[in-house]
Amino acid sequence: MNPAPNPTKDLDFQAIVSRMWPFAAPSSGLFLAALILTPVATAVSLVQPWLMKAAIEEHIEGIGGGTASQMGLDTLGKVAGAYLAAVMFGYLVRSTYSIIISIAGQRTVLRLRSHVVEHLLSRSPSFFDKRPAGALLTRATSDIEALGESLSSGVVTILLDVLTIIGVLVAMFMLEWKMTLLLLTVAPPLALIIELCRRRLRQTYNTIRTSLSTVNAYLNEQVNGMKIVQLFNHQQDSHDGFIERNTVYKEATIRSNVYDALMYAAVDGIGSICIALLLWYATDRAEVGITAGLMVAFIDYLNRLFRPLREFSGKIAIIQRAGAALQKVTGLLDTDESITSGSKTLTQVKGRVEFENVRFGYRPEPEYEVLKGVSLTVSPGEVVAIVGSTGCGKTTLTRLLSRSYEGYTGRITLDGEEIRDLTLDTVRQAVARVRQDTQLFPDTVKFNVDLGNPKLDMAHLESAAELVNADRVIASLPSGWQHELTERGGNVSVGQGQLLSFARTMAYNAPVVILDEATASVDPVTEALIQTAIERILERKTVLVIAHRLSTITAADRIVVMDAGQVVESGTHAELLAAGAHYAGLYQAGFDETTDQLARDTQGASADA
Amino acid sequence: MILLRFFKRYVVPLWHWYLAGLAFLFMTNWLAVEIPLRMAVGVDALGTDPEAVRTAAFTIGLMGLAVIAVRSLSRVLFFTPGRLVEFRLKNDIFDMLTKLQPSFYSKMKAGDIVSRVSNDMTFVRALVGFGGLQVFNVTLALALTGRMMMQLNPKLTLMTLLPIVVGLAFMQAGVFAMHRLTRLSQTQLSSLSDRILALLQGVQTVQDFCAEAAFQQRFEKENLEFMETNIRLAWVRSTILPMLGLAGSTCIYVLLVVGGPMVQRGELTVGELVAFVTFVAQLLWPLMSLGWLVSVFQRGYTSLGRIDQVLYAEPEKPEGSNPSDLPRVPPALHLKNLSFTYPGLETPALHGITATLPAGKTIGVYGRTGSGKSTLLRVLTRTWNPPAGTVFIGETDILDLDLDDWRGNTAVAPQVPFLFSDTIAANVAMGPIDPERVNVATFQAALSEDLKALPEGLNTVVGERGIMLSGGQRQRTALARALYRPANLIVLDDVLSAVDQETEQRLIDTFASIGQDGQQPTMLLVSHRMSALARTDHVLVLDQGKLVDQGSHSALINRPGPYRDAWSSQHEDPLPELPTDAALPAAEVVQ
Ligand SMILES: Nc1ncnc2c1ncn2[C@@H]1O[C@H](COP(=O)(O)OP(=O)(O)OP(=O)(O)O)[C@@H](O)[C@H]1O
Ligand SMILES: Nc1ncnc2c1ncn2[C@@H]1O[C@H](COP(=O)(O)OP(=O)(O)OP(=O)(O)O)[C@@H](O)[C@H]1O
Ligand SMILES: [Mg+2]
Repeated sequence: MNPAPNPTKDLDFQAIVSRMWPFAAPSSGLFLAALILTPVATAVSLVQPWLMKAAIEEHIEGIGGGTASQMGLDTLGKVAGAYLAAVMFGYLVRSTYSIIISIAGQRTVLRLRSHVVEHLLSRSPSFFDKRPAGALLTRATSDIEALGESLSSGVVTILLDVLTIIGVLVAMFMLEWKMTLLLLTVAPPLALIIELCRRRLRQTYNTIRTSLSTVNAYLNEQVNGMKIVQLFNHQQDSHDGFIERNTVYKEATIRSNVYDALMYAAVDGIGSICIALLLWYATDRAEVGITAGLMVAFIDYLNRLFRPLREFSGKIAIIQRAGAALQKVTGLLDTDESITSGSKTLTQVKGRVEFENVRFGYRPEPEYEVLKGVSLTVSPGEVVAIVGSTGCGKTTLTRLLSRSYEGYTGRITLDGEEIRDLTLDTVRQAVARVRQDTQLFPDTVKFNVDLGNPKLDMAHLESAAELVNADRVIASLPSGWQHELTERGGNVSVGQGQLLSFARTMAYNAPVVILDEATASVDPVTEALIQTAIERILERKTVLVIAHRLSTITAADRIVVMDAGQVVESGTHAELLAAGAHYAGLYQAGFDETTDQLARDTQGASADA
Repeated sequence: MILLRFFKRYVVPLWHWYLAGLAFLFMTNWLAVEIPLRMAVGVDALGTDPEAVRTAAFTIGLMGLAVIAVRSLSRVLFFTPGRLVEFRLKNDIFDMLTKLQPSFYSKMKAGDIVSRVSNDMTFVRALVGFGGLQVFNVTLALALTGRMMMQLNPKLTLMTLLPIVVGLAFMQAGVFAMHRLTRLSQTQLSSLSDRILALLQGVQTVQDFCAEAAFQQRFEKENLEFMETNIRLAWVRSTILPMLGLAGSTCIYVLLVVGGPMVQRGELTVGELVAFVTFVAQLLWPLMSLGWLVSVFQRGYTSLGRIDQVLYAEPEKPEGSNPSDLPRVPPALHLKNLSFTYPGLETPALHGITATLPAGKTIGVYGRTGSGKSTLLRVLTRTWNPPAGTVFIGETDILDLDLDDWRGNTAVAPQVPFLFSDTIAANVAMGPIDPERVNVATFQAALSEDLKALPEGLNTVVGERGIMLSGGQRQRTALARALYRPANLIVLDDVLSAVDQETEQRLIDTFASIGQDGQQPTMLLVSHRMSALARTDHVLVLDQGKLVDQGSHSALINRPGPYRDAWSSQHEDPLPELPTDAALPAAEVVQ
């Protein structure tokens, strides 16, 4: 799957700053301090050669009476001491700068990462349907790391570079404006090269970020499915698939190197070309006052001009990289695919659930509508079973009720209130669902049952577990409630995992309970035990049961039969059997055969005996 | 050790890149020295010899152009191998990942692996790319300058270099701290990745149960710890590593206080002293970047260690010695006192199972939740290898079989279906797609009806893990995948749990009819549906990892035991009366 396209356009420096600002702002004091320290550090590093020169000229060569001596540094020891002090001070300033900027950068990254995770947690399932987990992971880790690196690598001092460049240019103008103008003729080609490289760099960095997340998404998926890959001898294809994606990444990174190197080298080379121009211009103009002294001064200025320019070009590359990373991250943050919360709340949920002519499709096209006008009422205390062939929309119906997907037409009400008007928390606190596909977390068993809810005490958890026979499972685990599950509950059996997730739902104690194939992977004996155990609890709740094994739902107050997204029949087990239509057919399919078989087998067995 | 192996395998093969890079690096440095020289000539000739000035200007201009080309090339030539190493390393890691087995994956989580392959890789790349360039630059500078100094005045050189020795000692301590912290930071990043992945994979449950805050809080804790490590790392990086640069500057101080009096005593000329100062100044930059280089090296080294944990992991029992000399017929499997314990656990999941699974028959497996059914199937398919001498085909221990060969003969539908984010057809075929056979397999798996309702039928992309399909559709796609594959052993783990009863019966009919050349494959069918088990030839009954009963369905329901209990709990209809002698356990039962 392709990671979702994000239409955001390239972010420039300004946009980067403004997007990062909310996360950097709480550390603005630190950033400011770092900014102030930069010129100090520069000044200190300029003082050092001056002191060194003074020491040699005034004290060792013994010319004497120089500025340093006038300032009181009248012995070699004193000047050398001052030099050492400057060195120490410089070290302190630099280290402080570097620590401050790292702390500020790290904190910014921390906030950004928290925000990304918070954002992800509130996206709707349809958002995750389209985006591979590995790609999202890349956003939240690698991309943010790339941003952090650039923050700590001194990008914030780019302003100073610009100031230095302007200052030097002004000084050169004042010295000899004609020569300066001449030098400025190299500016357009230089700017052109830098701009070209910058654009290309941005493009390739974008490709790099995208292809990196593609590589990671593929890697994550293949690792998750490695058992299947191996069982089906699919290793070679799987490896080829990886190489293919990795090649896109490799080529983009190599291209980025080329532009990066070109930009850096161009600044360097053009610096020399400037000097050539100067010499050329000065050849026959001694009479207009262009002297060797002036030349030396100019060349010195040129060096001072090109040093920050070189730095600048390096930083441009870093900014392009950060920009590409940030663009991915903000592209993620800008997706507004979440479920909109209503504003009403219910104080006491009784649990009357009503579907009125509900229509819904995962895709917009009408021919792929999954629910085609479902109407259904469940009163508090009632147990309604939904049956129907696989893929007919049962799970979809329950997803709408727990507000996982939006965009249905018709009405779904809880105690008479349209659930879209209620806050998300109200609905989700009222509805507890055992999912068809168990979701377990790599954490303790206890956390998997209470999901970190501090209100659920141990006694409560234990009774919930007991109710669904999960107590037996937990007791069998080496460290019981504290046992650490691995990814997706890989170290317990599927049935055990299902029981744990069932226990989670029972512990949640909501007035509306949805059991979507809650015991599909559990053995019949345990299933029967659970059924009797929870009967008493469920009496007071609104219950929707989805089951394929019809023997488990014969006792339901009402059975609703769905087919191709519509309710086709409803009534009690006996009524439906008597009606001899859809349900009767389904039921017979399961039983005729086995009952016949049973009869045959019994005869056989008796005959044997 | 780690480095040596790494260099031999990945860096040495790229020697020509580095060699070419080095050549251009020399040229760049030559130009860097030559341009100022020409400049001096030109300036000196100003006003006296216009021709010389013009020549100088012209050469400098040309050299400027040359710098653009040469410097670009030297950087490209040094950085590209870094990318190539990254590329090859990643490919090799992936290759290794396809060979590693659950015993490895149970220790290393997906998020951790992804983190190693992407985040750690960044540091390894820096080590061989930019790091490589700098190593050459720095050694070049240090060696050349150091030699010049020694030639000038050995005594003064040694005196001045004293602070550098002290600086080196500090740096050593810093390196030590950095190693520890880098490791910690990388581990934390990995576990952060794990947490994010786990969260992404269970986000719907988090939302259903309004548990966002609890998860955010747990994440925050690790996020904070990670940041703190990084800040500590920054402390080391910004205080201890620059000590070397500091030491370099201190050298100049030593020069002034030691060398100054030497000049006054006439032991040294001013010119020599100035030269010394210039040399030390020239040393400063490489010394400072040495500190930085150490940090690059350190991170790269640490990361390399983490990558090697994957790259050089031991695949468990990679190859058997008996390749394909087994006849391609449905195998009869003999289990001899088979026990299996998951690593790190004490209680065995399978305990002393002895049984024969006859060739060409359908063998049902029944057992309560957690009794070891899936484990049994995993061991038979060698997802987890059984202990030696416990599972045989005829006389051959399956451990002696070539793994790929054994797998090629086996088709599996695991209990939790796993689909790749690809089309249904690709998921079924797992390789070259034969449309004809895909149609047959999907039909057999009762998926045809569903396909009609899907937007692009067989070409529908199903999303990660098949998220866009219903639970039953997902399960049957995985089933179709198993049926697509011509195999002599078919292993189906609870593949009926998400289908309705009508479909269930259809599927069982299909199972009974598969087989090539009139040969029924040996089939293992785990199910909780008694109606499905009723139609198998033979049923194994497991309880807490032990084989407690076996026999035909009819025999099993006619004697008391777990199987009969299960049957009765799924049927309201009265059970057959127990024959009078059924109280005795069947003779074949207890081993
Ligand atoms: N990867 C694993 N690591 C450690 N323990 C495991 C692992 N997988 C399963 N177990 C344990 O081994 C025992 C047998 O598990 P298994 O999955 O074989 O049961 P099962 O009979 O298939 O159950 P179910 O009917 O629920 O599928 C259980 O107690 C389970 O907790
Ligand atoms: N996330 C999704 N995106 C797109 N289509 C989906 C998605 N989930 C389900 N569908 C489609 O919607 C239809 C109904 O699915 P649903 O899961 O509601 O079926 P179900 O009745 O619960 O089936 P089962 O008994 O197999 O669980 C199916 O055809 C399925 O392909
Ligand atoms: Mg199992």
